[in-house]
Amino acid sequence: MAFLLRTLARQSTCLSRPQLGVFYRHAVPMGTTAKEEMNKFWAKNNKLNRPMSPHITVYQWSVPMMMSITHRVTGVGLSGGISAFALLALVLPGNYPYYLDLIHSLSIGPALLGLAKLGIAFPVSYHTLNGIRHLFWDSGKGFTIPEVYRSGYVVIALSILTSIAAVAYM
Amino acid sequence: MAAIVRISSVCNRGVKPLFYRSSLLSRPLVAQQKDQERSYPLTARIHGSTSLYAGSGSKAASLHWTGERVVSVLLLAMGPAAYYFPGPAVDYSLAAALTLHGHWGIGQVLTDYVHGEPKIKMANAGLFLLSTVTFAGLCYFNYNDVGICKAVALLWSK
Repeated sequence: MAFLLRTLARQSTCLSRPQLGVFYRHAVPMGTTAKEEMNKFWAKNNKLNRPMSPHITVYQWSVPMMMSITHRVTGVGLSGGISAFALLALVLPGNYPYYLDLIHSLSIGPALLGLAKLGIAFPVSYHTLNGIRHLFWDSGKGFTIPEVYRSGYVVIALSILTSIAAVAYM
Repeated sequence: MAAIVRISSVCNRGVKPLFYRSSLLSRPLVAQQKDQERSYPLTARIHGSTSLYAGSGSKAASLHWTGERVVSVLLLAMGPAAYYFPGPAVDYSLAAALTLHGHWGIGQVLTDYVHGEPKIKMANAGLFLLSTVTFAGLCYFNYNDVGICKAVALLWSK
């Protein structure tokens, strides 16, 4: 086995460029890209009709995990909300103050109005603050597990506080 | 280790490269050991493929990543800007930054969950359409209606 490998290795000098020296003898560019490899994985496993191994149903949830998926959910939700708003702006007749008065005239009541505002304020607040946390990670900071948890709790606390403040005082 | 597999498949001086491929894959560690006993020292697991690619790589993905972060920071700055300096300049900037940030964000979600070349293409086409309509709608709103900053202010004054 080793002999075969050594033979091959010797033959590989036909590929390696001499100026790279002996250290690069075994390094050759991969024949496929990461994207191709991923597509191959899915194509093969779908073709064989393999069931997906349980993951989120069996793995113990942690605060960082929940915060991450919440970041994603709030992001998608906010994006959908903005798109819906833009679509309505294009399609509906009349202008914005008209519809605002329409909603106002429905006499929803302060409690539900506050709740609706919270429904907008909290996703914005959480996604923004957790986004800042992400940017810190992107700069290379705060990766130790205690730091991840600490910054996570700070984000959660600040999100709740700022959204309540936004609803109550603005 | 994959590098050694590739060598065996590419170098066609070997008699049975395909045979070697599967057997090599099953014994990567052993092979590595044997190499160490030879003359040259073991250097890093040389996935120096980026340096050897010499032009076949592209910086698109890395530039995209940087662009995403830049837009995120800009959007962050637009929060206080919208609060302290509401007006058409911030309105249109907000429309652009929000749409782009959302477009790239949903793009990442699709990349994570959609698999298979045709489905990926369709999903991205749909997203592109949605983002275009979103940007058009926001600009329309800025031009023909009160504008984003004023809209938020009015909504909150209720």
